[in-house]
Amino acid sequence: MPAAALDRLLTPVHRWIWRDHERRVQKLLRFGDTETDGGRDLLRAAEVTSDPLLRRLYLVHAIDEQRHGILFRRRASAMLHNLRRDDSKSAGAEWLAPAGHGLDDLDVASESDETMLAFLHVAETSAASRFTVYREVLGHDPATQRVFDDVLHDERFHMNYTLTQLARVSPERHRARLWRARLTRLWKVYLRVASAIAGVMGRAILTVQYFVIVPLFAWLAQREARREQLGWKSIAPERNESMARQY
Amino acid sequence: MKILGISAHYHDAAAALVIDGLPICAVQEERMSRRKNDSAFPLAAIEWCLDRAGLEPDDLDAVVFYERPMLKFERILTCALRAFPRSWRMFPKAMTNSLGEKVWVRGIISSQLGVPSRKILFAEHHQSHAAAAFLTAPTERAAILTADGVDEWATLTAGHGERNIGGASSIKLLREIHFPHSLGMLYSTFTAYLGFRVNEDEYKVMGLAGYGQPLFVNEVRRLIRRTPDGAFALDLDYFDFHTNAQRSYSSRFVDLFGPPRSPYDPIDTQTDEGKRFAGIAASVQKVLEDTLVDMTRALQLETGLRDLCLGGGVALNGVANARILAESGFDRLFVPSAPGDAGCALGAALYADRIHFRNGDRDVPDHPFWGPVVDGDDLARIAREDGQQVTTVGQDALIEQAADDLMSGRILGWMDGALEFGPRALGHRSILAAPHDVEMRDRINREIKYREQFRPFAPVVPVEHADRYFEMPAGGARLARFMSGVFPVRPEWRSRLAAITHVDGTARVQTLDREMAPRLYELLEEYGKRSGVPVLLNTSLNLAGEPIVNRAVEGYSTFLRCGIDVLVAGQTRVMKRGSFLMKRKEEVA
Repeated sequence: MPAAALDRLLTPVHRWIWRDHERRVQKLLRFGDTETDGGRDLLRAAEVTSDPLLRRLYLVHAIDEQRHGILFRRRASAMLHNLRRDDSKSAGAEWLAPAGHGLDDLDVASESDETMLAFLHVAETSAASRFTVYREVLGHDPATQRVFDDVLHDERFHMNYTLTQLARVSPERHRARLWRARLTRLWKVYLRVASAIAGVMGRAILTVQYFVIVPLFAWLAQREARREQLGWKSIAPERNESMARQY
Repeated sequence: MKILGISAHYHDAAAALVIDGLPICAVQEERMSRRKNDSAFPLAAIEWCLDRAGLEPDDLDAVVFYERPMLKFERILTCALRAFPRSWRMFPKAMTNSLGEKVWVRGIISSQLGVPSRKILFAEHHQSHAAAAFLTAPTERAAILTADGVDEWATLTAGHGERNIGGASSIKLLREIHFPHSLGMLYSTFTAYLGFRVNEDEYKVMGLAGYGQPLFVNEVRRLIRRTPDGAFALDLDYFDFHTNAQRSYSSRFVDLFGPPRSPYDPIDTQTDEGKRFAGIAASVQKVLEDTLVDMTRALQLETGLRDLCLGGGVALNGVANARILAESGFDRLFVPSAPGDAGCALGAALYADRIHFRNGDRDVPDHPFWGPVVDGDDLARIAREDGQQVTTVGQDALIEQAADDLMSGRILGWMDGALEFGPRALGHRSILAAPHDVEMRDRINREIKYREQFRPFAPVVPVEHADRYFEMPAGGARLARFMSGVFPVRPEWRSRLAAITHVDGTARVQTLDREMAPRLYELLEEYGKRSGVPVLLNTSLNLAGEPIVNRAVEGYSTFLRCGIDVLVAGQTRVMKRGSFLMKRKEEVA
């Protein structure tokens, strides 16, 4: 399995990442969000499928994912207590955009059961292989290791049922579905990396513009702001005469 | 005329359809996508609205967006310039965010719906709030106050409106307060400081306030001072929301109030730290109330009007609303079921109809049920597939069974008719339970809502009986129609209404009249016959972090995942069979 081999290969990197207390907290919080988002998407899948057995299994799976989210957050929270109070970090947390992207941006409501199951199987297999590596490099932190043990136990069930059910609902084409899911995941990874790089480039260009172009306008805006009266501003009746304009 | 209203791109997107001056339907995107506070362009909500009315986009006479995107962009850009060079981190984010999608609303609407751009109109954000509050209220003349966090420049507006049935309507917003001076942002900053989610958990601050004493009022008043003209201004040294996308308060704020609460720490109001946070919540709540009472009192004196329509997210603060009603001099206070941004979709459509197109005014039906209708047969089918205990009975028998369930301590999921428009469950997508014991409150918190113990639950009571159990001032029953006011529980009833009585002896009451939700009304009467108290605990049918359910299947999946004992949808009643899901998991494994 290429993903598993890659995870194995990257073990020293994972060890380095998980060694740091604060990075560990951030990783766990992010996992918490991802699992919760995944749970939400599975719930949606359960609500849109017409297959009663899949509905029940997706619901069980959703509950598991939401429980994992709680486990990760609870562990992170316990570790946060041990961190020194740092205003900027703890205060910023509630402003953070959710790190998770649910089921890889899958449009759950419009996907067929075959696609959903294939995707879930591939995603669960990949998560399980990565979590196994994480578990191994966390020898120095038995409490976090136990969280991964707990999660991995459920992941095995998820891997099994998704494969079994995929073979049931798509007996002829389930292998092709799995390959398609793998390729789609790869494509999504590429898109995420590409958009992250584009984002960094965009931010860099805008930051340069900010310091090169903006200062003069900033000076004018600040001068204008100093002149501005605090309190009520009257609204001219003619201001809202047209609903066609956007400003 | 057929007018579609849209709100999107900030939080809680929604769509509403107005035909010949009357709302036909309105729904929040989160109820369709199942993503709480979904701010995405509300395509699913729009599609549902058009389907419901049997329309194609071509049939629409106008599509109205709830704000002016370029005006908002001007505000964002100007604020970034004013905060130079401190805004260097925020600037790229803000520009990417705005230029990526938000300023191209005309093109988005045109391409998504295929309507020509000449049909696309824009209302100012606070006009939309004002219209949502005033044009849906059963009043002909009223003062109008709107207050929220931020959108374009205005954060608070004051004015008045006039309706003449069949004739012209007017909404005149006379003055406004500009960003960054904002009551909504003040409250949101404390929401963030207290470790809750901004734009979502403000009501938790209100709940927590009940546990504290306003010992920090002087400190909060250093953050917000009144200006000589009766408005207010924030001392921006204490805030960072206007310069920083990561944090809403400054180090000076932390110096003044102490370390913030980590969002991951539980709140224990018995500890010193918990008391400090509760005290801070109580203080900002008091300052917010005082400011609003002052401003509405001045507006009453200025306009001489007897009614006030309140709009914007700040109008969700039921404690402040009750004080405005009691102290501002207005006789009646109208808060719509969706005073926040979602309601702006309806407000923008009504504004275009009455003010822009000058169509004759019509009374808008006085209820919040504008969403999809639940199908009890769907629930019966799904539940039977799972081998659940399903019964389908006549109306009277169903009500009697439900009352019996409640009497025996069961918790009911109650789905009836059309979905509510707005954040409150007002009897069509509710969890109902007996209101008498604290154990019931704790059980719902523990087994269903999975939420903090300090948060109260609301009661629903027939409007005729409200005064017996709650201290309702004149106009209180109206304010409580959409659960918009918090009133004291009468002391002699507090022990018998312990599950819905907050620690400070109050409750966010919903007063129900028969016409608005007849089945729930009958259930209240039936329960009253059995228990002697026609009051029920009423909380929204959803789990933590999820939007209120819409369809039967969503109610059913919620029912399976929590401690609700019985689920009712239409004429269908489902009784839970043990730990159903866990058994299935074992079977499959």
